[in-house]
Amino acid sequence: MLSTLSVMGQGFLHAMSPINLIMMIAGVAMGIIVGCMPGLSAAMGVALMLPLTFTMQQDTALIVLGAIYCGAIFGGSISAILIHTPGTPASAATAIEGYQMTKRGQAGKALFTACYASFWGGLLSCISLYFFAPLLAELTLKFQSAEYFWLSIFGLTIIAGVAGKSLLKGLMSGALGLLLSTIGSDPGSGMPRFMLGGNSYFYDGINVTCALIGLFSMSQVFMLAEKKITERAQASKVTDKMSLTREERKTIRPTIIRSWIIGNLIGILPGAGASIACFLGYNTSKQFSKHKEQFGKGSIEGVAGSEAANNAVTGGSLIPTLTLGIPGESVTAILMGGLIMKGLQPGRMLFNEENALVTYTFFAGFVLVQFFMLGIGLLGSRGFAQISRLSDAILIPCVTVLCVVGSYAINKLPEDVLVMFVFGIIGYLMRKLDLNTAAIVLALILGPIGEKNLQNALIISDGSPKILFSSVICWVLIVLCVVGILSPLFMNKLEKKAEKEAETEDPNGPIEEEDLV
Amino acid sequence: MKMKYTDVGIVAVFYVICGLFFAETLKLPVESQTYPKFIVIILFGLTTLYLIQMIMNAVRYGTESGKEDFKGFQAKQFFVCLVLAFVYILAVIYIGFYVSTAVFLVAALFFLKVKPLYIAIATVALLLLIYGAFTLFLRVQLPNNILF
Repeated sequence: MLSTLSVMGQGFLHAMSPINLIMMIAGVAMGIIVGCMPGLSAAMGVALMLPLTFTMQQDTALIVLGAIYCGAIFGGSISAILIHTPGTPASAATAIEGYQMTKRGQAGKALFTACYASFWGGLLSCISLYFFAPLLAELTLKFQSAEYFWLSIFGLTIIAGVAGKSLLKGLMSGALGLLLSTIGSDPGSGMPRFMLGGNSYFYDGINVTCALIGLFSMSQVFMLAEKKITERAQASKVTDKMSLTREERKTIRPTIIRSWIIGNLIGILPGAGASIACFLGYNTSKQFSKHKEQFGKGSIEGVAGSEAANNAVTGGSLIPTLTLGIPGESVTAILMGGLIMKGLQPGRMLFNEENALVTYTFFAGFVLVQFFMLGIGLLGSRGFAQISRLSDAILIPCVTVLCVVGSYAINKLPEDVLVMFVFGIIGYLMRKLDLNTAAIVLALILGPIGEKNLQNALIISDGSPKILFSSVICWVLIVLCVVGILSPLFMNKLEKKAEKEAETEDPNGPIEEEDLV
Repeated sequence: MKMKYTDVGIVAVFYVICGLFFAETLKLPVESQTYPKFIVIILFGLTTLYLIQMIMNAVRYGTESGKEDFKGFQAKQFFVCLVLAFVYILAVIYIGFYVSTAVFLVAALFFLKVKPLYIAIATVALLLLIYGAFTLFLRVQLPNNILF
């Protein structure tokens, strides 16, 4: 216990090193910029910045990715409040009350509420990260190869159903990803497989980072390029003071706490994400409000409820990602990719003597990131609002260049750039046809882990598949896989219900679906 | 939910992928065939289930073209951007990063009707950003073939 506390303390000291602090500021600012631009998403921002972290220390790299994640989730609220266009789906509910406040000349108050609630939502979510992550990681001590095999299957069943309209299409995407993950050498025999005419470039399999950049960033370029380029609405001027009175802060305090709990639980639940949390947070804030009449006319409780919930998701979603290797959504899937690429495996390994300092430095960094988010958000919202108007015509070529340079920088191989481009086209087609890009990415990451553990398990049992059903944990994981497959049906209903309830409050009119990337 | 004709294409492509991977799997030594075959069978099964679901939807609710998914599609803009991006990648590999990037940015921004002043600002700013981040900070040697 004392040694854990000591490592936690050391983690804080490490996180406060000048390079980490600089990277936190840069990461948060980058995240807010990505988040506030309606054409770009948090997943895209994290994927695009992944190559930049390759030469960094493990802890610094993770801090940067975490900072971009948090910044992007908060950043979406700026355009939601000022131009009624959420930068990310996580801020869709914020647009309802936030834009009403802007129309009433209270844009400053709305932005302050969003900053303040995001800060507390994110900060409080760190408590559960500190508390639950090591406990859950302990569980994995009991895992053998068979259990790890089922765990990877569980991860896939969860993500396969996320964000798609069709469960079967999600599962098909996951299976396609698994098939693509078999390209390269057989982990058991080293035999080359499906290497496109024996091309040695594929011996280590498809470069996951390049696939990530292609699927999330390059595909986004194509999504922007297919739409007619129109000028975005002028961001409303912030004429009032960015602050809340003591009374107003007191009013939103219970809302923030409720939304923190909701967001945190939603984050921990694999398969749910910030977009569900924001609507649930918003609806709950209305249910418990003493000023229900203000909802739909610009309620600070509505803004706080939505923003505290979506930022509370960030810390919560890291728990299953870091401890079990099950990311609940695309951003955490990319974060897990970054983790593995830095030589870290989710699970107990993150908390052993060798890696605990890196992990707790990341946790401490995640705490400090919330403070930077508050500071940068309060000081820079006006500026970020102008950036959010940046035309797609400028974004298309600029993001293309960043995709190319990012994918090249990983191994300095031209083939990586071509792989990224091909996955960009695949990602575009998949998104247009309602297939699931996150499932492909996760399958590319989890596929080799599952295959390796399956082979190990079969070697131990002399080829008998009975070993896969030999322990209680195996059966629990099998049941969870079934629940995982069925959970999207429940999650979709929950999201639709929460959205419907919130939309009836929105006097600004519906938000265009194409704005919700 | 009506059956979309575009989904017929998806099913066809997935069957082709299954076929190709299955054929390639048979060329592997027997001990390396099990896992890929297992995945191919799963994908084949899921695709068949989806096909059945599609047929049931067609019988129950009718069909639609699926063109709605591509509503407002700007064909010229899309394909020019796609080709420009591909040519840019080849140029980066065979000519050099900085020159290719500058030319690509100017050409793409000009095509997308961005004002000349903004073209200049965006090009210079992005090149400086990449030079600072990748060349100076990360010390990544970007492609540098015929030209800089």
